[in-house]
Amino acid sequence: MSTDLKDRSRIWFVLPAMLVVLALLIYPVLSSIYFSFTSRHLLRAAYDLVGLRNFVFVLSSADFWDAFANSIKWTVGSVAGQLAVGLLAALALEKVPRFSGLYRILLIIPWAFPAIVIAFAWRWIFNDVYGFLPNLLTALGISEGNISFLANPAFVFATVVGINIWFGAPLFIINILAALKTVPRDQYEAALIDGASVGQRFRYITVPHIKRVVGLLLILRTIWVFNNFELLFLITGGGPAGLTTTLPIFAYRTGWGLRQLGAASAITVLLLAFLLAGAALAFRMINRWERSVAR
Amino acid sequence: MAGLVAALALTVAPVALSAADLAGDLVFWSSFTQGPRAEYMQRMADRFMAAHPDVKITIETFSWSEFNTKWTTGLVAGQVPDISTALPNQVVEMISVDALVPVDDVIDAIGRDRFHDAALNEGRRDGVSYSLPAYSHAQVMWYRKDLLAAKGIAVPTTWAELRDAAIALNDPPAVYGLSVPLGTNDMMATRYLNFYVQSAGGALVDATGHADLTSPAAIEGINFWVDLYKQISPEGSINYNVLDQATLFYQGKTAFDFNSGFHISGVAANTPDLLDDIEAAFLPRLKAGDAPYGGETSNIAMVAWAAGDNQEAAKAFLASLYADADYIDFIHSVPGGMLPALGDISANPAYQDNERLKQFASSVAVIEQAIPMGTAIGMENGPRVQAGIITSQGVIEQMFQDIILNGTAVEAAAAAAEEKLDGLFLAAGATFSD
Amino acid sequence: MNGARAFLRAFALPYAFLSVLAVIAAFPLFWIVVSSLKSAPELASDPLAFWPRTPTLEHYRHVLFDLGAIVNLGNSLIISTSTTVLTILVSAPAAYGIVRFYPRVGQRLTQILISTYMVPPILLAVPYAIIMITLGLSNTYVGLVLAYLSFSIPYAVWMLTAFYQTVPVEIEEAAYVDGAGRLRTFISVASPIVLPGIVATAIYTFINAFNEFLFALLFINSSSKMPIAVALYSLGGSEVLDWGAMMAASVVVVVPSIVFFLFIQKYIAAGLAEGSVK
Repeated sequence: MSTDLKDRSRIWFVLPAMLVVLALLIYPVLSSIYFSFTSRHLLRAAYDLVGLRNFVFVLSSADFWDAFANSIKWTVGSVAGQLAVGLLAALALEKVPRFSGLYRILLIIPWAFPAIVIAFAWRWIFNDVYGFLPNLLTALGISEGNISFLANPAFVFATVVGINIWFGAPLFIINILAALKTVPRDQYEAALIDGASVGQRFRYITVPHIKRVVGLLLILRTIWVFNNFELLFLITGGGPAGLTTTLPIFAYRTGWGLRQLGAASAITVLLLAFLLAGAALAFRMINRWERSVAR
Repeated sequence: MAGLVAALALTVAPVALSAADLAGDLVFWSSFTQGPRAEYMQRMADRFMAAHPDVKITIETFSWSEFNTKWTTGLVAGQVPDISTALPNQVVEMISVDALVPVDDVIDAIGRDRFHDAALNEGRRDGVSYSLPAYSHAQVMWYRKDLLAAKGIAVPTTWAELRDAAIALNDPPAVYGLSVPLGTNDMMATRYLNFYVQSAGGALVDATGHADLTSPAAIEGINFWVDLYKQISPEGSINYNVLDQATLFYQGKTAFDFNSGFHISGVAANTPDLLDDIEAAFLPRLKAGDAPYGGETSNIAMVAWAAGDNQEAAKAFLASLYADADYIDFIHSVPGGMLPALGDISANPAYQDNERLKQFASSVAVIEQAIPMGTAIGMENGPRVQAGIITSQGVIEQMFQDIILNGTAVEAAAAAAEEKLDGLFLAAGATFSD
Repeated sequence: MNGARAFLRAFALPYAFLSVLAVIAAFPLFWIVVSSLKSAPELASDPLAFWPRTPTLEHYRHVLFDLGAIVNLGNSLIISTSTTVLTILVSAPAAYGIVRFYPRVGQRLTQILISTYMVPPILLAVPYAIIMITLGLSNTYVGLVLAYLSFSIPYAVWMLTAFYQTVPVEIEEAAYVDGAGRLRTFISVASPIVLPGIVATAIYTFINAFNEFLFALLFINSSSKMPIAVALYSLGGSEVLDWGAMMAASVVVVVPSIVFFLFIQKYIAAGLAEGSVK
């Protein structure tokens, strides 16, 4: 086989994926950006170009900034919790000599729950009249009267973040576990012989092997959680009093509730811009980090 | 363009209705999602297809919340059904974007004077009707006879009496006196506030088209519900939608509730033992001795879409649903919940011959009397886009939550919500007459 | 004594931690199963009852046969499986290619790809609806699967590059020496080594497609093609909030995924293929 032919064949590994993604996204993204500069009403055909009016309207609305703050809180809380639980659980799974298969299955159960079932199940468990948990806490004398986890402003945010950690931790568990499997056993054994402590082994052997996967997961989950619409929409609908209204829910309410498609597009374009800026920053950090590690 | 199509449809339709050789595919988006109502519609479609072999009817069922997302997105993308069910607010909005065809010919074929005029009026613009009332119901006060009797309390007739009775019967977690549902994903708080304002002869959307939440009656009403929420409602009810709220009553967890005759089948499905203990009365009055009033009447409608290719067939199918015997079958699928949109059916012996209706005769009579007295929220002065906004944006619900959770003063919160609503009315294309 | 302490440190703590997590992770499943077996009056009467007094399958009968959830479940399986298969077929070669053939531009390439993953689904909703109608793809499995590929491929490529990067290049060089071509090296040398990663990515893709709600709600108009996630939403929006039926339907949705997990879980933890490592 000539090297020439080989060189041309390698492009076929990469090209299909690139083409499919570009073909699927270019038009929708461009048209949304275009809508964001128009007075497009969801139901009316006629609209005008309005320049930056939608952006001015959105950025000067207190509701937008509330939703933005909620989005940040929701994302940071959920992803940090998922990482912590996922990492600890994966390490523990590696450690136990027996039943790790059983635990693995039990731990990834939440992952089998579609958003609508997550909403059904937890709304049922947390229901303040016939829910298991509020009644249990009351029966045990821990709370005086049933706590309303999804309505009480003191609890609701922590509760939905908790649900999201419950749902998202399995992804971290499984991927970190897969990454841990790539750590060659002999490195651990050599380190043990050298008398390395648990902390040292974790830092110098485990971390280098899993950090790339963990880094990717963090970025991917941050994006996913930030953009996620259905979990909160189905669990709380953004309430009570807008306490769990994140940007995607705000965009949905603006587009489908108020029928202001132009303004809704502006919100989602801002959402995208924010993510791209954040990602650019994250990528620069990763690149610098990898260069320094590579040295 | 749509106007032209509409005009054409209007002129040719009377002929088309009687035409024998109908053809084409019809898609029917129905919100009669399950049980006897869904089966009934399928049966009617099958029969129509048997009579007109060239017509194919496909029924797709969606819950109301799904329907709301689907028809709006469908309209943008250009994919809407030929026929659908619709709520009065949706009808107003559909008319405003020329999405519907007039159905005056269908109404006339069935008999215009058989329909309640108030119901017809909700789908009318410039004298042209765009919707067919399918059935009606009205909000009434439901109560537990057994609980009232146990404490020797009479059925409340005023808001003050209701409050006292609900507090007296409150015994959580076994039973709550009353739940005040305030979730922003629904319009329940708007509904409850509207009851109070209606009892004072007012309305949430005034004659000029502005939102009115700062009238003395509205302020009093807000205070009334906030007070009851704090005193006896389950804390979680701040998030409740209509189903959460209704389910409490179905399961015997609330002593009082506000709903239509759908409560009968809800209780029958969940806690049949409770059926003998529930009854409906007129909504509480402001002062003792005040006459009953209509708090809120809902006329569920059927519409034919302007984008449809086979409007003659669509209309012919709609008309076929109203033959007396069939229509009574339809109404019987939720006895007491769906009341006839055709006035004469109520007196029809075949209609009255139903166990559930006999069992709840007094409650159903109350609902029947309430129907002609009320309208949809915000439609007291005719169909207006305001009615859709006030019930769909959760502004009043947010106002209640703001008062309860953030301690905002009632007057300030009401004024802010009023201003927000007026802004949304304008954005939706409403005009004010002052 | 010392041995006991060491044992405690080494095993007891991990077991305790895992047990607590496992209870939290599995409780909702247990609870929806228990609730789905209780009759409607029982659901309302004793919220703490751990076992139904008179277990009933009535909710299941209602959900599966009256409401036709079986059809919706089948739709979900068709859609998610197609999405997963297509995603892996397209993404694994791309990830491998980036790692092996374009190491330098690869970094940029994946970053561009992942930027596309950032597009909020809700931003795509209206344009997609318009495209699908134009292309005649609305209300079809194909349309929905295509929409899902828009976010599953970027994710899969990115995740898989991380795994292919762990494959020692020496092993492949040995294969080349043996005369294997690029495709064969990719299929029979590199991919088996990263099988756990591929499986993890496939599960993720499958689950995301199975769970997706917004696009399915917007683009599928007929109940006969509706995936289960949206069919369940209808259940929550009908006239009566039927918790029993909702719980039964939830079980029906969740259990196939868990059975699927049971089958593939050994691959998740398979580790580096024996013999590939020097």
